[in-house]
Amino acid sequence: MLAIAELLAGLGLLFIGLKLLSGHLQQAMGRRVRAILKAATRSRLIGLACGTLAGAIVQSSNAVTLIAGNLVRGGILTTRDAIPVVAGANIGTSALVFIASVDLKVAVLYLVAMVGIAYQFRLDRTAERREWIGVLLGLALLFLGLSFIKLAPQDVPRETMAALLNGVTPLVGILIGFAAATLTQSASTATILCVAAIGTGAIDLSDAFFIVLGANFGSGIATLISAGNLQGTGKQLCFAHIFVKLVGCLVVYLAWLGADLAGYEPAARIVALGQNGPSFVISVVFLLLQVTGAAATTLFCGTTEALARRFSPPSQEDNVSKPHFIDDQAMVDPPSALELAASETDRLIGNLPELLPDLDQRAADNAAHRALHWRGAHAVGEATGHFLVELIDRHLSREDLDLALLLQDRQRLLLSLQDTLKEFADVTDGYEAPPPLLFNLAEALRTLVLELAEARNGPQSEIELLLELTTDRSTVLDRIRRTLASGAIGTGEDARKLLVAVSLFERAVWLLHRLAGTLRDTANAANRT
Amino acid sequence: MQIDREQAGSDVVLKVSGRLDTPNAKPFEASLMEAISSTDGGITVDLAGVDYVSSSGLRALLVAGKAMRTAKRDLALRSLQPQIREVFDISGFSTLFEIK
Repeated sequence: MLAIAELLAGLGLLFIGLKLLSGHLQQAMGRRVRAILKAATRSRLIGLACGTLAGAIVQSSNAVTLIAGNLVRGGILTTRDAIPVVAGANIGTSALVFIASVDLKVAVLYLVAMVGIAYQFRLDRTAERREWIGVLLGLALLFLGLSFIKLAPQDVPRETMAALLNGVTPLVGILIGFAAATLTQSASTATILCVAAIGTGAIDLSDAFFIVLGANFGSGIATLISAGNLQGTGKQLCFAHIFVKLVGCLVVYLAWLGADLAGYEPAARIVALGQNGPSFVISVVFLLLQVTGAAATTLFCGTTEALARRFSPPSQEDNVSKPHFIDDQAMVDPPSALELAASETDRLIGNLPELLPDLDQRAADNAAHRALHWRGAHAVGEATGHFLVELIDRHLSREDLDLALLLQDRQRLLLSLQDTLKEFADVTDGYEAPPPLLFNLAEALRTLVLELAEARNGPQSEIELLLELTTDRSTVLDRIRRTLASGAIGTGEDARKLLVAVSLFERAVWLLHRLAGTLRDTANAANRT
Repeated sequence: MQIDREQAGSDVVLKVSGRLDTPNAKPFEASLMEAISSTDGGITVDLAGVDYVSSSGLRALLVAGKAMRTAKRDLALRSLQPQIREVFDISGFSTLFEIK
């Protein structure tokens, strides 16, 4: 019983540790990873190296695939550029497997001490430090979890352990690895578990070889499962990810089979090889699987792309998610880059009405089409945000910096407005025939959004009018809230939905007012120059 | 939708009845613009007979409101049914037009 408790506690700590580690690393290094991945356009080899570095930094090939997918959607990378990146990310994740193969009991103690001291002396006051402390805590929990897992079998009777050992045939090993990786959505996690199991003597190296083989393939399938409804480019990269795993498994397994047929007895040899450091040997096997898969996929990048396209053709979402103006090449000339960012934001403002339902023309309204536009507009909005952040990081002139900060403010407001409109549309979509209050809110909001789309290119008087139309609504809306609370309009779920709609409307009007303010500031700045 | 026009000196009253929806918005806007260009005085839109206003109807009024504002003339709305008054309050039009 104690062994089960230790095993479960170890697994729990391992999962928490991995989650903390990957999450905080992504927060701490996300921007740098994006910058690293952008260099992937230079050559396949550089792409592979960038992917390896990014994978080692964030310790999640899924996260790198996701970032690369966003860069492809943003038009910064092509799918072909991104394939070596995804391939490399798999190699990068091997770093954690190697770290886990080393006995780090003392390191855990120091890590826990460092985290505790950091919290006690409030060293976590800045966001960046908080992320790094989170990384250390993640590592500490991960190693602690591994120690528990290694301890667990010591409490299992020898005869039970022997029975377990005998049960692991190559096929069973592959299935165990496949199941573990599919459940944990990570080949490296399953391999780390394997490393721990070897350390306890529960399995030997030849068993571990097949478990890692199964885990490697299982994590590819897990990526596809977690991709869910993802379509087009995003899913193409998931397929590229699977190819890396599949090719790696095939090459390594065929090599094993070849060695077996040639009488080299690979099972005995690998056990002999790992007599002094079995954990290290299994880490090397894991690395070998990644390197062979990544090398083949990168070398036959065109074929991989063609296959991925066949499995997941470009979607409509890919098209609407592509920026029309911003281009990283333009960053060399900040004034032009700022103009492009302004045009992109301007285009997104013009497209805002597409995110709202037209309740007067319900027959022509298509909720799925609106959702697609929201995802596309959101992706472009985020790409514009990253573009501006990178531009601001460069040494801009005072005038350019002022404009960049103004555009950044506008882009953030725009993203919030996009989300608010989407949430509002979701409320109206919940009704076959919206109640009169919801109809009025929707039509009023649509009018104001259409006015913003028109005002962005109109004379300044249009912006002033919009500012007037979007002044504080609290008196009117509070009156409506009171009526709703009294139950005069609707009760229960209906009243709750209407209250949500009123709040979303109020937020949208406030955001429209702020956006109109940024348009006025740009117009004023242009008039001054 | 039906629009009746009454002249009161230099002022014009447009009595609207029916639905101010997408199909009717353009003819309504055309009537408003015609009234604006044919007189120098103020314009009052009587909405007593209107029981439905969509965003297209609101925009038609907004276009007329902008034209009147540029010409420094008054555009007023009157006799709004409670449901219609609500959409004008919510959309902020009550701050733009005089509502009688």
